[in-house]
Formats: sequence, structure tokens, C-alpha cells
Amino acid sequence: MSNAYLTYAAKRLGQAVVVILLAYVFTFVVVSILPGDPITSVLRNPQNGFSEQEIAEIIAAQGLDKPVPVQLWNALSGFLTGDLGMSMRSNRPVSTLIAEVLPSTLILAGAGLAVALVLAMLVAYGTRFVPKKYGQGLLRGFPSLFLSVPNFVIGLVLIHLFGFQLGLFRVINPDSFWATLFAAVALGIPVSAQIAEVLIANLDKEAEQEYATVARSRGIGQLKLFIRHLLKPASLPVVTVIALTIGELLGGSLITETVFGRTGVGSLVQRSVSTQDLPVLQAIVSLGAVVFVLVNLIADLLYPLLDPRVKILGGAKRRPTTTDEPSLGSAKAVNP
Amino acid sequence: MSFVSNSPLSGTANTGRLTALRMPATVALSFAIIAIILAWSLAPQFFTTYSPVVGVPADKFLGPSFSHWFGTDHLGRDLYARVVYGTASSVSSALVAVVIGVLFGGLIGLLAGFLGGWVDVVLARLVDVLLSIPKFLLAVIVVTAIGFETINAAIATGVSAVAFFARVTRSEVIKTRQATFVEASYLSGGSRWYILLRHVLPNASRSVLPLAVLQFGESILIIASLAFLGYGDPPPASDWGLLISIGKDYLKWPWLVYAPAFVTIVTVLSVNRISRWLRKTD
Amino acid sequence: MASQDRLNTHLSAVKTSTLEAPRPAPLLRAKNLSVSYGANQVVRDVSFELGRGKSLALIGESGSGKSTIARAVLRLLPDAGHATGHVDFDGQDVLSLPERQFRPLRGRAIGFVPQDPGNSLNPVRTIGVQAMEAAALTDEPNAAVRKALILDTFAQVGLDNPLRVYDSYPHQLSGGMLQRVLIGLAVLPRPALLVADEPTSALDVTIQKRILDLLTRLQHDLDISLLLITHDLAIASERADQLVVLKDGAVQEAGKTSAVFSAPSSAYARKLHADVPALNPERYAGLRNPGFRLLDGAASTPAKIEVKSVTKTFTVDGKALTAVDDVSFAVPAGTTHALVGESGSGKTTTIRLLLGLDEPDIGNISVAGEDLSGRSHKQLRSVWRHLQLVYQNPFTSLDPTWTVERLVREPLDRFKVGTPAERTAQVREALANVGLGDHLLSRKPAALSGGQRQRVAIARSLVLKPDVIVLDEPTSALDVSVQADIVEVLLSLQAKLGLTYVFVSHDLALVRQLAHTVSVMQRGRIVEHGRVTDIFDNPQNAYTATLLESIPSGLSNPSQQAPQRQAVRAERREAFA
Repeated sequence: MSNAYLTYAAKRLGQAVVVILLAYVFTFVVVSILPGDPITSVLRNPQNGFSEQEIAEIIAAQGLDKPVPVQLWNALSGFLTGDLGMSMRSNRPVSTLIAEVLPSTLILAGAGLAVALVLAMLVAYGTRFVPKKYGQGLLRGFPSLFLSVPNFVIGLVLIHLFGFQLGLFRVINPDSFWATLFAAVALGIPVSAQIAEVLIANLDKEAEQEYATVARSRGIGQLKLFIRHLLKPASLPVVTVIALTIGELLGGSLITETVFGRTGVGSLVQRSVSTQDLPVLQAIVSLGAVVFVLVNLIADLLYPLLDPRVKILGGAKRRPTTTDEPSLGSAKAVNP
Repeated sequence: MSFVSNSPLSGTANTGRLTALRMPATVALSFAIIAIILAWSLAPQFFTTYSPVVGVPADKFLGPSFSHWFGTDHLGRDLYARVVYGTASSVSSALVAVVIGVLFGGLIGLLAGFLGGWVDVVLARLVDVLLSIPKFLLAVIVVTAIGFETINAAIATGVSAVAFFARVTRSEVIKTRQATFVEASYLSGGSRWYILLRHVLPNASRSVLPLAVLQFGESILIIASLAFLGYGDPPPASDWGLLISIGKDYLKWPWLVYAPAFVTIVTVLSVNRISRWLRKTD
Repeated sequence: MASQDRLNTHLSAVKTSTLEAPRPAPLLRAKNLSVSYGANQVVRDVSFELGRGKSLALIGESGSGKSTIARAVLRLLPDAGHATGHVDFDGQDVLSLPERQFRPLRGRAIGFVPQDPGNSLNPVRTIGVQAMEAAALTDEPNAAVRKALILDTFAQVGLDNPLRVYDSYPHQLSGGMLQRVLIGLAVLPRPALLVADEPTSALDVTIQKRILDLLTRLQHDLDISLLLITHDLAIASERADQLVVLKDGAVQEAGKTSAVFSAPSSAYARKLHADVPALNPERYAGLRNPGFRLLDGAASTPAKIEVKSVTKTFTVDGKALTAVDDVSFAVPAGTTHALVGESGSGKTTTIRLLLGLDEPDIGNISVAGEDLSGRSHKQLRSVWRHLQLVYQNPFTSLDPTWTVERLVREPLDRFKVGTPAERTAQVREALANVGLGDHLLSRKPAALSGGQRQRVAIARSLVLKPDVIVLDEPTSALDVSVQADIVEVLLSLQAKLGLTYVFVSHDLALVRQLAHTVSVMQRGRIVEHGRVTDIFDNPQNAYTATLLESIPSGLSNPSQQAPQRQAVRAERREAFA
């Protein structure tokens, strides 16, 4: 733990806090400033059967009669103290609603990430060992194929094959082990395609590096070359990629829960969208941003500790350079 | 390694132009598929005689055959006709999304990368914020705010892509700005804005093009997901995602899911293949 | 102590076993070796023999297939490469052996020293971990002995602090140190053959010489055969018993060094010899003479460029680094002034200051009587009208999206010189001046060879008809034969147009041929300056002398080393008998 590292960590932490707050403000602006005034239009929808007095009460309770900056200030201070406001439909605290469905989604997302990692490693590391004539091409085609498949289609295919044809699980009972497993597979496959794509590209790049040839000139076989030389430099950058796919997992679980008929944050989003329950939506989107920012913060803080090539200098992460004087053609000139 | 290092010296002198045009068979096939898809969206009536809206109730749930390539749905409508007529909406909305993402993202990235200083700091924070909200959630909340329509889904998808293009363009601009040929132009008397327009922009856009193509494929997927959740135009529209969504309620007749899914996958695969080829030939 | 004994036994055992072997057949013999990548044949029917304890150099320019041959011998060609013919190593046909049987030979019997030390060690593993791979090839069971063996080898290749090197990551060491490490790892298992692929081309001249000396010493001490791959005829003839000259994958000439070097029979070998600056000091004498005449009358005319006690300090990672320290020089009009130094000597910063791209902290620079200090971009433009630059690397200095015509025309358009029709004529004239035809006007840089690109870059800097051109290592990215053409173009332009050049280079042999005055830089300071002839013939500064000694000069009398080498070998045999 050098001083430089601590400075860097403090700086990154500060940035993360700022980004989270701004993300909250951004979602607030999107739902309150954009045209259409969905809130009152929903409340006034005769199907919902609110009387004028009830509407006025709800508007007052939500603070919607106040000017937008005041609303923002109230919402932001609530967010900072953990108060996510009240649902407009069920009249229950948003935090309670989310807490009810969160465990199921966390299990799904966690299982999905596990599936994604295992699959990505099998596929990517497999390309190093499966010879060309025994289907290395299939492994290499995996990422581009599954990056082209809509994730709900994967879910539907699994349900059709394993639920309907093989009868392995009942779609009606989504809490069974098999149903959860297949939901996780459906969620994990597109994410694994992303990770595998980067991993394969990194492995190919490292294998082409001069040091790999030089290591082979010391009589090293393919297995040792892979384990001792390629594995670490090719896999390390993937830490950052995994952190970036967290967003994919959160968005994907929304669809997967719908496909598999599971209750969870995704189904809560679905319900809130159809009823225009904006406080719930805003809370979920902001929490999504919090999770995403925190996971990426951890990845960023971890990375310099894992990769000796990356040095922390002057509070910023950078790769060490060999030239210590500016060269010609580095064009600082254009912005003198 | 002399083989590798020598190629730019001797090999390319005569063959540069030829190799640029020589394309692998899979890429040619991808272009052919995209041509068919574009033809479907421009003139669907030339590709099928069936109506996408009116069905023959007696013919419902027919499996794929010579008269009904993709079978028929629960109202006896020809599924192939529905897919063909739904193409225009799926393709054009994806285009709208790409244009929004590339234009706004590109502009932000260009300004941030070229002006630097506080402009860069402010815009970089803005991009960080946009990136921090999971893409699909961002699209969902935007489409919720502006209303459930396919065009709005396209706008939402475009907004969710702005941050990505801003970041890519910024790093490309910074990379190009530091290129030796930019300093050379500066020494030849070029002003900053001249260099930005004549040197930095053409070079940066060369690497952004394949990503824009890639984004086209991804937009098709995201818009299909939004349609699948019911955030696009309602039936009798026949966007690909909506068709799959309807099909999921009739899994006993699986072609209702597999046929539109197949068309979606083949289209996106082709687009991605072209993008990869563009990146390589660059 | 026990481990020390085992170490000694190990060392002597290996040596005696190789020394006592009878040596009738050559160690390495390539016969009709061809290598192709798909339809592209890069090596054609190459044959050569390398005897035990001897050295052989494969010489050629880029694209000659020399590195491909090295890799074919080690069977380390990329997947797409396909080798045919025969490569016999110690009686076994390398190309037809199954990988399982060939792999034990790699490292143990055939060592490899790569070209670019900076990329040749795994960046995320310590040197020690990678050294252990080499040590494992000795079959020494005890890990402590293996480590001692490594440290011993590191000391042997001239690394001062072996233990520190052992624990370092590659990026913590300099290029020269890394190359020593790599050579150490290659010789540690005591191979019979060492393949060195351009082992010094990525290093500074003084380090280059030391690394080559080290290789030669190890080759003699350990009785290793050396297959040296190089583009440098001078280095090859200094270091090898036999030469094989390659061009486009085919052998042009082969034979004893003395024969090939002093009396090349093939046209290509003769041209190669004639193009190496170190071997032909007087090649451009006629073209350079006008400058010397100007220099003799220089006292009366004012200098075109005057740099007066300039200092520039950068802050790198919180530390102040004085890149240029109290540097002064003046260049009379129509002559060439060379800035010479190794990487980090401050020569690049000096010309950035000279061009107004950076501002000096202290000191004055004037070009053609105009003072550079405190000028804005707009005011600098009027200076650049008369002062242009040619970059080192023509692969990065030309915008890849532009055509040749647009590239050369750009300065005219920017400075609004003449009418559009006149500009078109001037572009053609500038291209003609550098020997390029009109048919290239519509080409983009990717469709040009390296030499053509550098000519375009020179044409671009010429088109404004400037008085001064700064040349930043203008030929170092190019092959020798291309370099000779470019130098000829530059010198004839100087004679024709009376240009003043500031020539930056690390290649002293080249400087000696084309500059009139020279400043030698070391760590930001000018350590010696004056007329080229005075300084090169009679250097006063120790550093200048070292630089000059490092110029490979070719083997003037190749036979004188051979007996000496045999004597060393005989001595060793006695010692172990």
C-alpha cells in the first residue's frame, strides 16, 4: 500500500460518489422533465378510478406540487439517507418493495455470472487446446454467434427444449432448481460470449508476442506455455471486462425473469413500467447505477495490485514508459 | 519476424488496392443477406402475396411448408409475410438508434478529445454518468418517460449508446491528435480547426465506422427486447421482437418463435461479420 | 557449500562433454530450405553449413527471409508458415522430427537470442521465474543449485547485481540489461548452437558493441556455434567466419567472410557493401564539398541558425529532468550540422525547441535572424515558412487517408503560396526533385514503399522552398540501400538549392559522410563540437571516442582472428584434459 496507491484509491472513490449522485440526478431529470407528464396522465386515467381528491392527496404526498428543483433536493436528500420514497401504486415504501424481490434476483444474477465465467473460460481456454481439425473453429465462433442471439430467445429455446420436450422442469413453478439453473444459463450465455470474446482475443495477442516465442525457444510445451505465460496476462484485463458486464447482467435479468415467469427486480420493473410507478423505477435504476459503479470501482482498485505492468503514478493509473523525454511527433503542439 | 515487418515495405505497393476489395466468402454472404433484408424493408409486397394483417382462420397453426415458408400463426396469418412486413420497422428503428448514438456520442467525444481541458473534464463526467446506468435499464426508463412506441424505443436505444460512442470517439481523437502526421500538418501551417476537420476527423471516423455497424446489430437486439417486453408498437404491428413475444405464448407450435428468431439472428450475425471485416481491412 | 561443488561439477561436466566430441560433420546444415506463407514464398532453396564452434551470418534487408530462416531452424514459425527441404542439426533432420522429439532440443541444444529485448520476456512474471525455465533444462535436480547457476550466469553476462535482476520484472530493466538476461538464459543450458536474430538492432551503439563483444566472448569460451542474423554487413563481417547474403528469400552469395567482404562477386552484395556508410567513408565526398567551401568562408556570413545557451527541464513523475542543459551551436548557411547522441541524450528535445514546438526555460534560438522566443502559433507560422522538418518514421508522418498530391500540396495551401495552378506545378517539381514520378500523385501512403514514403515526406518539406530543413534520423527506419538513395537525394538538393540542414542521428558513420559540423550530446549537454573531420579523426572527449569505437567497421583483416581463436580453444582443451 504505497502512498501513491492510497491517493489513487481516494480519487477513484470520490469520482465514484460523484458519478452515483449525478446518475441519480440524471434519472430524476429524465422522469420529471421529459414531455408527456406521465404521472398525472396515469393518475387521471379513468381505469385507475382515482377521485380528484385522492389525486390531489397523492400529488401532495409525493411532493409533486412543489417546483422541480425542490423535488430534486428532497429526492436527493432522501436517496442519501436511504429513503427511496413511496410507491405511487401500492402506497408502500419503495425500499420494502425492492427488498422483497431482491434476493431472488441476486441469486439469479449470481448464478448467471457463475455460468458466464465458467463457460467463457471453457470456451476461450479451449481454443488453445482443441486442434483446428477437431472443432477449434466452433469454439472461436461461440462469441460471435451468441452476441447475435437476443437473450430472450435463448430462454425460450431452453424452455421449449427442456421444459416442453424433455419435461425437465415446469415453467409454472419457477422456483425449482432446474428452472433457476436454466434461467441462469439463459442469462449467462450472452454475458459469457462477451467475456469469451475478449479472453480469446487476449490469448491470441499474447501468444503472438515475442516473449511467447522466446519461451518456446527454451523448450517449453504448449501446456506450460499456456499456464505459465499466457494465462495471467491474457486473463488479468478481463477483470475490468467482467465488471463492465454487471450492467448486462442487471438488464438481462429483467428479461430473463419475464421469460421464465419469475418474481424479482425485473418483474417489479415490468409492473412499475406498465403502471408508470416512477418512484419505484427511479429507485431501481439508481440502485443499478450504484451496483455498477461500485463493482467497477473494486475492479479498478484491484487491477493495479494484480498487474505488475500497471503503476500508480501521481494519483493516476498508467503503464510505465521507457522514454522519459517527449519525442517528436507526440503533438503536444496542437494544444500549446 | 522479418516477414511481418517487411509487409508494409514491399508487399503492399501493388496489392494494397486489391486486398482491400478481396473479401472472404462469409462476408460476401453477409452482404447478400443484408441486401435481402433491406429489400424486404423497402418493398415487402414484392416478396410475398399474403397479407401480414388479415389471416385465414381455418389455416391457423399450420407448420412450415411450401405455401407457408414459416407456417401460420393463431389467426391463420402467414408468418413469413408478417416477418417480411415487420422488417421495415425493425431495420429503420435500429438505424435511428445508430444515428442518434453516433451523432451525439461522436460530437461529445470529438469536442472532449480535441478541446481537452475543462470541456473534457465536464464531458467525461457526463459520459461516466451515462455509462454507469445499465444500458437496458436506461433504455427502459427513457422509453417509459416518452411513451411506448417503436420510434421511442429506437430513441431510447440510441440514447443508451451515446456514452459508448462518446468514449470511443474521444479516445480515437486523442490517439489521432497525438499522431506524427498531425504535428506535421501543424508545422505546415495548419490551424487547430483545420487539423480537426481534415486530419483528425477522417482518421478517427475510420475506426468508428465498424463500431457503428456493430451498434446497428446490437440496436436490433435491444429494440427487439423492448418490443418483446411490449414497449414498442402494439399488434398488429409485426416487429421481429414482437413476433417472438407473441410466439412464446404458443410454444406448442415452436416455429412461431424459431422463424422470427432465426431471421433476427441471421441478420445480426451478418452485420457483425461485416463489422469485423471492416475492422480488419482498415 | 555442497551445492557450490555441484555447481562446479555441472559447469565442467557440460563443457568437457561438448569439447571431447569429435567434429567431422557440420553441426547445422540447411539444404534447399524453402518457407512459404500460403502462396507467398519468403525463403527459396537456401542452403548453408555451419561447423561446430564456428559462426555464420545471414545478411539481408527487410523481406530477405533471414529471420524466417532462423525461426525455421528452431521450428518456431507461425502456424501459417510451411517449411520444406532439409535442416540437419547434429545429424537429425529438424523439419521431419515430430514436435515431441524436437522440443527437447530447443533451449538444450539450440539457444535463441531474440531481436527486441523489450518484448521478449513475459511482462507479468519476474525474470527469476523465466530464468528457472532455462535452468530446468540443465536437469539439475536441486533448486538452490539451479538458482546459483542462474546468478552465476547473470554475473557472467555482465549484470552487476544478479540478485536484483532475478527479482525484477522486465519493465524495471533497461534494454541493454534485458538483452544480457536473454543471452544469459540462452547460453545457460550450454547449447551447441546459438541463433541470434538481430540481437542488437534495438539498442544504442555503445551498448550494441558491448553486447556483440559479449556474444563473441561466450561463443569462444563455451565453444558454441553462432548463427547470426543481421542487416548490418559491417557487424556480420566483424563477427562471423562465414557470410550468406540473402535477398528476397534467395541466396545471392555465400562464402568465407574475408572473400565475400573484400571481393563480393554478386551485384547485390557489391551494392550492399557500397551502401554501408561505415565501409565507404568517401562515398558522398563530391556532393558534400560545396558545404565545406562555404564553411571556410563562414566567418564573414551570419549563421542561419543560432542556439544560445538553451536549457529545458521537464517534470517526469514528480522529478525534474533536465533534457537540454546549456546547449549552444550555430549553423552557417548552406551547411549541415549534425546532432549526435544516444537515446535520452536530449537531441530530440533540442530540435523540438529549435522548431518552436517547446519553449526553452533559458536561452535564445534564432532562425534566419528571427528570434523564436515568445511567439504564438500565428507568429511561428512565419518561421515555419522557412524552416521545415523531416520525421524519422515515414510510416507515421503521413496521414494515411490523404493522397500524395494532397500531402505535398498541404503546406502550399496553408501558406497560400501562388495560384492553385502554380501550386500544382510546384508539387510536381518537388516530387521530381526527390525522384518521384507523377504517376504516384493519386496514391495513398499505404500503396508506397518505405523509401517512397520518406521521399514524399522530404518533398513536403521542400515544397515551400525553405532555407532550413531539420532531419530527424531520416533514414533510421529504412534499409541501407534505401538509406543510400535518400542521402544522395538530400545532398544533391543541398548542392542545388543551398539548403541548410540540421541532421539528427545516432549513426556516426552516416554523420561522418554527410555533415560538415557536429555536436556530440550526452545527458542533455554538448560534450564536444566542431568540424566533422576534426572530431572524428581526433576526438578530445572520452564519450565521443567511445561512440566512434562502437562503429562496426567490418573485418579489415579477417585472418588475424582465426588463429587466435584456435589458440584459445587449444588452451581450453588442455585445461580440461
